[in-house]
Amino acid sequence: MNPIVSVHDLTKEYRLGNVTVPALKSVSLDLQPGEFLAVAGPSGSGKTTLLNMIGCVDGPTAGTVEVDGEETTKLAERALTDLRLQKIGFIFQSFNLIGVLSVFQNVELPLLLQRVGPAAERRRRVTGLLDRVGIAAYADQRPNELSGGQRQRVAIARALVTAPKLVLADEPTANLDSVNGQMILDLMKNLNKQEGTTFFFSTHDSRVMANAEAIVRLADGAIVDRVSPAEAGLQPAG
Amino acid sequence: MSLDTLVLLVRMAFRNLFAARLKTLIVGSIVFTGALLVVVGISLLESVNDGMNRSIVDSLAGNIQVYAAASKDKLEIFGNMAGFPDLAPVPDFPKVRDRLLSLPNVKAVVPMGINGAVVGSGNVLDNALERLRASVRSAHRHPTPAVHAEITARKALVRRMVELLEKDLLAAASISSDKAEDAITLANVHRATRPPFWSGFDADPLGSLEYLENKVAPNAAEADMLFVSYIGCDLEAFRKSFDRLEITDGTFVPPGRRGFLFAKFTYEEMFKVKIARRLDRIKEARETGGRRIATDPELKRFITDNLSQTHDILYQLDPLSAATVERALQRDLKAPDLKLEAVLAKLLAVDDANFSERYRIFYADVAPAIDLYKVRIGDDLTIKAVTRSGYPQSVVVKVYGAFQFRGLEKSALAGSMCLIDLVSLNELSGFPTSASRAEIAGMRKAAGARAVTREAAEAELFGGGAGVSPSGETPKTPASGVSVAKAGPIRIPDKLEGAADRRMAAAFTPADLDRASVLNAAVILKDPRRMNRTMREIEALSAREKLGLKVISWQTAAGLLGQLVLLMRIVLYVAVGIIFLVALIVLSNAFVMATLERVRDIGTLRAVGARREFIFAMIVVEAAVVGIIFGGAGAVAGGALVRLIGHYGIPATSDVMFFFFSGPRLRPFVRPFSVILAAVLVLVVNALSAGYPAWLAARVTPRQAMGAEE
Repeated sequence: MNPIVSVHDLTKEYRLGNVTVPALKSVSLDLQPGEFLAVAGPSGSGKTTLLNMIGCVDGPTAGTVEVDGEETTKLAERALTDLRLQKIGFIFQSFNLIGVLSVFQNVELPLLLQRVGPAAERRRRVTGLLDRVGIAAYADQRPNELSGGQRQRVAIARALVTAPKLVLADEPTANLDSVNGQMILDLMKNLNKQEGTTFFFSTHDSRVMANAEAIVRLADGAIVDRVSPAEAGLQPAG
Repeated sequence: MSLDTLVLLVRMAFRNLFAARLKTLIVGSIVFTGALLVVVGISLLESVNDGMNRSIVDSLAGNIQVYAAASKDKLEIFGNMAGFPDLAPVPDFPKVRDRLLSLPNVKAVVPMGINGAVVGSGNVLDNALERLRASVRSAHRHPTPAVHAEITARKALVRRMVELLEKDLLAAASISSDKAEDAITLANVHRATRPPFWSGFDADPLGSLEYLENKVAPNAAEADMLFVSYIGCDLEAFRKSFDRLEITDGTFVPPGRRGFLFAKFTYEEMFKVKIARRLDRIKEARETGGRRIATDPELKRFITDNLSQTHDILYQLDPLSAATVERALQRDLKAPDLKLEAVLAKLLAVDDANFSERYRIFYADVAPAIDLYKVRIGDDLTIKAVTRSGYPQSVVVKVYGAFQFRGLEKSALAGSMCLIDLVSLNELSGFPTSASRAEIAGMRKAAGARAVTREAAEAELFGGGAGVSPSGETPKTPASGVSVAKAGPIRIPDKLEGAADRRMAAAFTPADLDRASVLNAAVILKDPRRMNRTMREIEALSAREKLGLKVISWQTAAGLLGQLVLLMRIVLYVAVGIIFLVALIVLSNAFVMATLERVRDIGTLRAVGARREFIFAMIVVEAAVVGIIFGGAGAVAGGALVRLIGHYGIPATSDVMFFFFSGPRLRPFVRPFSVILAAVLVLVVNALSAGYPAWLAARVTPRQAMGAEE
């Protein structure tokens, strides 16, 4: 089976004045469809940078990234935007919901951008997902009326509403307490199992890592190893 | 962009705007003000333009003015700093008129000429003499004691006036250079101040009166001359074409008669006894201007002036009428002990409490005893002008009445032009009239004069045609008129002595009118909206038929006055421009701030797949929503305000405003143009102000969604 993401020899450097700071050093990595993969490492190890490269929100200094067979470094800005829209879902650490839109509208937004119509079709898909993530009752509320856990559920619904092949989540539970964090992880795992969606999420929390099928460990911008939670000495979570 | 996306953008815009309510309100109020100003400003301006249009078109100019292209100056109906324009007569006016009338949109063509001249402002001495003559005449028929008393009183008044005149003349002589003429004048006047003249009066009252009228009174007239502007025109055509004209005093000049009509405003301002005029103005200021004597320096000054000029009235009162006025004032002012001068002063010392009563008493007790106007309706008026070739010319015409233009009663501008018949104007301008042509022809015939060409003049004068004209013949039709008289005594026909009288003949024929020189003509249109087209038609007609016409619109004809609206328009547009420039800056700034505050939102939208166009559109739609809501509200409020103003009207508080408003109140109405312009301006300003922030927003990267903390 072809990998959904194929990262090859990826290097990313940031310039801070006259100093060049390496964020990723020759990273190579494949993500298989349906994987539930964590990327772990301490702060500044390059987790977010790696996610950004795969998510086409930032370009590498060297190396290549292929998403679903398309080499993103060769794509123009507009094509990258469309690639994100069609194939990738994002879940942010701080949820990033649009405050002026209702829960329903936030989830509907990617469908509108994809020009999915008619409205009834969108409504069916949005309410279906809201149901799945358990916040259908809050459809008409604004994000600031919800708890952190509820907001992240909305964000998950928004990431999944277009049925993307890949969902990237940057520290999805970092802003949640452990109970809510676990509920979000369970939800993600469920969706991964039922929809076959590939999940790639970053974390530095060992309890979160324990939920993953495998853990890619990063240190100083380079992959240290790729291990199972057991190999990392973690008790696999439910 | 699909409709659903647009709906989403509009919804987001509304929510974003609502979320930043205060900012939206500030930004919105600027847009609101801008739109309101555009609608109100343009509606008012266009209403004033309309008003002025009507004032100028209806009072003097007609829609279009034509004049001879060969003229030295440009036509300016109201004149300019340098006086009245020097215009050449329109060649063959009857033909021009007929050709112009053949155009479908031309309703009427009114020949005219505009000029100004000095007129005797009337002569109280003349009037006093006239009354004295009337008394003398009635004494002749019914010699009653009362009439004799009247004669004595009127004689006393005339004598006092002559004495005052002598004083004036002595003062004038001291600064004059023409000693010889002054001496004769002074001697004449001096004689009429001496006791022997007055003791001899009753022996030969008519002879004495004639002496006073011919040798004394004319000197008084010289002392008080006023400049008036007038339009000489075909009065009948003028009356028919300018239907706002109405007669306020006397009658219109009968067809075919020479005559003069005062513009009511000029008549009141310049010819009314100053004290009465000031009282009128105080009354008007109190009633229509809401002004109070107690607080208004100008009104206070009027009263001071009146009190210092009571002699203007006393001067006119002979002992008998003085006594009558004194008694009436003593009774009405309940001041039985005050003498005339004191009681008159008491009458004129008005305040806010007693003004209405005093005003009434003035017109009841004093006015009937004096000449309220220096020239009365029905009087003959002597107009002294300088002709175009520079020699003085005077014409005596009867004043038939006074007129005003309905709605322009208070306007000094519309009321500045008196009316005179075209034939008299021609004489004042020095154009030959049919009478003067006949007179010259008669003189030529009598003197045996004939015309020769300039080239042949030398030979004709000095004999022997050879060397100048090869054939030795005199051309029969001269190219330029040099008259050559036969040798021998010149016989002047007896008839010629009556020329002066004939020139002043009160009547003229339609042929005279047709032959009269016309300097300009007002063209009245059936449909004024098609003015520009008709102007082009007239120009084409003039070129085709070689009529030699210059064609100008009423605006151009009004000269500086016509430019005033242009000036106001510039001021308004500059003000609107500044408001919108401020709006542009504030709006742009507000949207830049809004963009910066929403970087994370925008980055998120970009991350989940929103293209740059979507982000750009998001900001533009937000600006458009502000523009449409607040701009629309501003336009509607502006429209409502204009309608409200239109309902009550803006009162004209000065004579110039009467002219601008074409009436006592300006009643503006909403111009569709102003609303369209407001809409366009608001949208353009919004688009411009949203442009930069929208561009900025479109450049937000999806990565900017990641880092920022909530």
